[in-house]
Amino acid sequence: MDDVFAQVSVLGASGVLIFAIVVLWRHGVMAYISAFRWQSNVLAALTAAVAYFGHDRDLYWVAALMVVVKGVAIPRLLTRLARRVATSREAEPFVNTATSLVLAGLLILLAHAAARPLLEMSSAPTRAAIPLAIGLLFVSLFVIVSRKKAITQVIGFLMLENAIALLAVLATYGVPLVVELGVFLDAMMGFLVMQIFVYDIHDTFDTVDVDALNRLKH
Amino acid sequence: MTGLSPTLFWLMVAGYVTAASGLLMPTARLTRITGAIGAIAGGAAGLSLACATLWTGESLTLAAPGMIQAAGGLALHLDRLGAIFLAIISGVAIPVGLYGGAYSASYEGRYSTRWMALNVGAFLISMSLVTAAASAFTFVLCWELMALSSFFLVITEHEREESVSAALWYLAMTHAGLLALLAAFYLLGSGGADGSFAALRAGAAQLPPGTRHAIFLLALAGFGSKAGIVPLHVWLPRAHPAAPSHVSALMSAVMVKLGIYGLLRVGLDLLGGGPAWWGTVVILCGAVTALTGVLYALVEDDLKRLLAYSTIENIGLVLLGVGAGFLFRSLGQPEAATLAFAAALLHAVNHAAFKGALFLSAGSILHATGTRDMNRLGGLVTRAPWTAAVFLVSAMSIAALPPLNGFVSEWLLFQAFLSGVAHSQASIAGLLTIGVGALALTGGLAAATFVKAFGISCLAIPRSPEAEHAHESPRLMRAGMLLMAAYCPLLAVFTIPVLATIIGALAEVPGLPAVPAAFHAGLTLHTSNGVAAMSPVAIMAVLAGTLVIVWMFVRVIAGRPARIGDTWGCGRIGQTPRMEYTSSAFAEPLRRVFSQLYRPAADTAVGVARPESPYYIQSMAYRTQLHPWFQRAIYEPLIAAVERAAAWTRRLQSGSVNAYVGYIVLALVVLLIVVMGF
Amino acid sequence: MDVTGIVCEAAQAVLGLALAPGVVGLIRRVKARLQNRRGAPVWQPYAELRKLFGKDMVVSPNASWVFRAAPFVVFGSTLVVYLLVPAFITPLPLNAAADLFALVYLLLLGTFALALGGLDPGSAFGGMGSSREMTIAALSEPAIALAMLSLALGAGSTNLGEIAARTIANPLAALSAGHVFAFAALFIVMLAETGRLPVDNPATHLELTMIHEAMTLEYSGPCLALIEWASWLKLTVFFTLAANLFLPWGLATSLTPAGLAIAAVTTVAKLGVLAVAVAVIETRIAKLRLFRVPELLAVSFVLGLLAVTSSFSVR
Repeated sequence: MDDVFAQVSVLGASGVLIFAIVVLWRHGVMAYISAFRWQSNVLAALTAAVAYFGHDRDLYWVAALMVVVKGVAIPRLLTRLARRVATSREAEPFVNTATSLVLAGLLILLAHAAARPLLEMSSAPTRAAIPLAIGLLFVSLFVIVSRKKAITQVIGFLMLENAIALLAVLATYGVPLVVELGVFLDAMMGFLVMQIFVYDIHDTFDTVDVDALNRLKH
Repeated sequence: MTGLSPTLFWLMVAGYVTAASGLLMPTARLTRITGAIGAIAGGAAGLSLACATLWTGESLTLAAPGMIQAAGGLALHLDRLGAIFLAIISGVAIPVGLYGGAYSASYEGRYSTRWMALNVGAFLISMSLVTAAASAFTFVLCWELMALSSFFLVITEHEREESVSAALWYLAMTHAGLLALLAAFYLLGSGGADGSFAALRAGAAQLPPGTRHAIFLLALAGFGSKAGIVPLHVWLPRAHPAAPSHVSALMSAVMVKLGIYGLLRVGLDLLGGGPAWWGTVVILCGAVTALTGVLYALVEDDLKRLLAYSTIENIGLVLLGVGAGFLFRSLGQPEAATLAFAAALLHAVNHAAFKGALFLSAGSILHATGTRDMNRLGGLVTRAPWTAAVFLVSAMSIAALPPLNGFVSEWLLFQAFLSGVAHSQASIAGLLTIGVGALALTGGLAAATFVKAFGISCLAIPRSPEAEHAHESPRLMRAGMLLMAAYCPLLAVFTIPVLATIIGALAEVPGLPAVPAAFHAGLTLHTSNGVAAMSPVAIMAVLAGTLVIVWMFVRVIAGRPARIGDTWGCGRIGQTPRMEYTSSAFAEPLRRVFSQLYRPAADTAVGVARPESPYYIQSMAYRTQLHPWFQRAIYEPLIAAVERAAAWTRRLQSGSVNAYVGYIVLALVVLLIVVMGF
Repeated sequence: MDVTGIVCEAAQAVLGLALAPGVVGLIRRVKARLQNRRGAPVWQPYAELRKLFGKDMVVSPNASWVFRAAPFVVFGSTLVVYLLVPAFITPLPLNAAADLFALVYLLLLGTFALALGGLDPGSAFGGMGSSREMTIAALSEPAIALAMLSLALGAGSTNLGEIAARTIANPLAALSAGHVFAFAALFIVMLAETGRLPVDNPATHLELTMIHEAMTLEYSGPCLALIEWASWLKLTVFFTLAANLFLPWGLATSLTPAGLAIAAVTTVAKLGVLAVAVAVIETRIAKLRLFRVPELLAVSFVLGLLAVTSSFSVR
């Protein structure tokens, strides 16, 4: 049983990571939003699986919340935002696609090396997937750093949230329900604030290219 | 057998001295003949000596303490590790001697072939002695002799600016490397040992760790610059194309391997291995070198410079194996270490074979057409069929296509990395995975490079009048090329004995056990994590059988003669060479993919008919240039700094006699004060 | 290798050559049906081969022996690869040479020969096809190597018989993350190497969109038949690898008639499923621009990396 649990957790975590890779690969904002939606759904499914194998009923609620908030509500808001600021393609990123994919691969290798102490400390059956969660962390940070459109950076931030949630689920089978609710609220607040900022940037500069923010210097 | 080794040694020396004595011959023809015979005889003797040492295990020891007593005299000791490299040198010397016998004829009248003969002889003898050197002094003496003789060979065509510049770069970099080597040997001997390798080996264990790390890094820098590690490789793409082709073959196939030999001798034998970061550094250097080499080879239009960059790539692959060997040894996986070192050495041997053949055929192309620019070649497969055949076989070997020898050594490297990944923890396994990725990418890019090199140079329609009037090389050159090319399938068929010999040589080094390898009809390697089996002979046999059956089948079913019809041209009227693909066009997609690494500078000049209107275009010129990043980032600032320092010290040369006498008086006064002070 | 072995290998070769055109015919038929067309019958490729073998060959005056030899080298090397793949029985009589690495490089031999054959007649289209084909082949090497590495780590060896045997013995391992990602990486590389959409359109008639077709533009008659058959056989090789290395149940481990019959049926079924999958993918996805293909290959590289790293922490 433990074996199956370990396999499922590694498979689920890898699936979550794959969608972050897809964000590095595809070029359209709509593709990013749909990748984020799929990522959240897979994360919710993984949370439900951990709830089943780990015999933790609270995680079912967390999974449901994840689907509602991150799988449905936030993508809808993002789609509306994207349509309003009328961007369809990501402008030439700072690092080109193939290079960013190779760098993402190297970051995942780094995550595996960095996660070794964690692996030795933990004894949960899900510990094999922890390096993948840390890899997702690095890749989301890389998305934020290397992309120019504000919307893509918002998506990177949301994936970072997903990474932290994934790490929590894998390392400690989630955190108390109250804390989870607090984190969700936090994420929603952060997202709404960022949404307002994106609208503002668009209204001021007529573009959401963050390079344009350089003009604020003087 | 014991009595035979010294005889063979002196025969080898006598052969190379005969080759060098071409200096004293009255006619150019006699110079060529003595040069060829000397090189062939010396090479044969050297090869026999190396094989005798490898098979019987007895090492040759010669000492001449009386010579140059102050430095401890000359000492020679040929053990199995050195014998492998001696075999490479001698094996390559034989076909090169044959080839050079006819090739140097093209230099007669313009440049001095006598000095060329002297330098080739000196080059061969110094390289052979480096592999047998048993004391630091002997080693450095022969190393410097090797550098000087090759310098003179590079500058043979001294009326061409390109050759002079290349030779100066080479001289500067080889002496910078020599400085590093001298520092390394000095530190090695700082424990109070005398210069002989035996004493250094014994004393190295007592050296403090900081000194050991410094010695390793200095040796890596010094030997690495000779081998061609990026970024110390800049002399290679300049010097190898500028030298005469048979000398380029010697330099590329043999001299760079001596850099590897030096690294193994100092790092593995004298120092006895070190911590894990040594291996990590070498693996990273190897990966960067391999990728840089192949990426720049891909976009080259000059055939010999392409081959030079490809040498850099292969040295990178050898370094990947050497680094993995150091790493595994320090991690306590001795069997994997032996496998890795064996793979690296096998690749060094294989590379000598196919790179030698490639350079000899490139020389033949140069001899036939007078140009090295691939954009001006083409159609040689019908005009110079033997040259093209040699080029094809060696291109297939270097692209690691089965069943030839290049494939076997790449397979072995991969197996070495695999066994490392299987048994290491995450960070090491990650590093090795990167190594595997680099290995695979390099292999793929090398295949693309050599499709370009062979396809553009030899196939299709000639792109210039010189290529159209190309002719086949004289018999002696053909014989040399064919002999060198024959090494490739021979090394593939006889992989098992060669590999067994190499592993036996490595077993002499303490800490490296012989990998239990059972060799049957194929090659069955029992690695510590399972059975990996590969059989070049079986693949060759099955492939040949299949080809024959298919050919007969097609002849029976559809054996009609073919009709001749013009190439499909989408409705155009005639076909000119300008409609063919060029070498830069072939590499264009890959150049675009890696454009962030190349950072090409592109320049478009548009000439308009009327200055007022930019729409009536009369002419358009597109020029693109690749300026290597290491040139921009490292060497240009360094050269600028040296020039600034030199300009500053020039102020001392005021031109006034009073000032110069004043300097002498000043020096005298200071000396008197110092002497009075003590 | 004794007589039984030779007979087995010969039978495998004949079966493979017989199945390959059918696989491609099935893909074309399913694609046609999905696109609301009637489509040619599944045995159309056999008729094409027969037609080509009956035609004369037209050779360009610029071509040399390399042009004439290339189709044989491509066909021969692909056939040798098929002889080493565990298609119906495992372990094969030639198992001593059945190394995954050797397989990949034998396929590269075929690509090399075809690229040279494309350059020989001196046409711009051939040069373009060769250049693009070598680009894609070079860039898919790292992904293949990492997928191979992950399979070899799981089985302890790169020998094909060993890999199949380990998966048969350990069914749960077939669903491990390493296997799934190696399969995904190999699938993408297969689409690239065999010239299917989204990398290359095998049915295109526009020279500027061709990759594989451009290299073979000059070939006609029996030589073209050999090249086409070889490319179909290459597709069958990749399908067989994907099916029998990752889901090897059904392979005959001994030479009994019942075992061989089951093996034949299961392998044909797996080939059919993969053919339909490829047809569906080809209908759903549009062809990528040439300079987007390296990005796709980089994704397969990352998938291969994930496959390898998933075996790191399981220690």
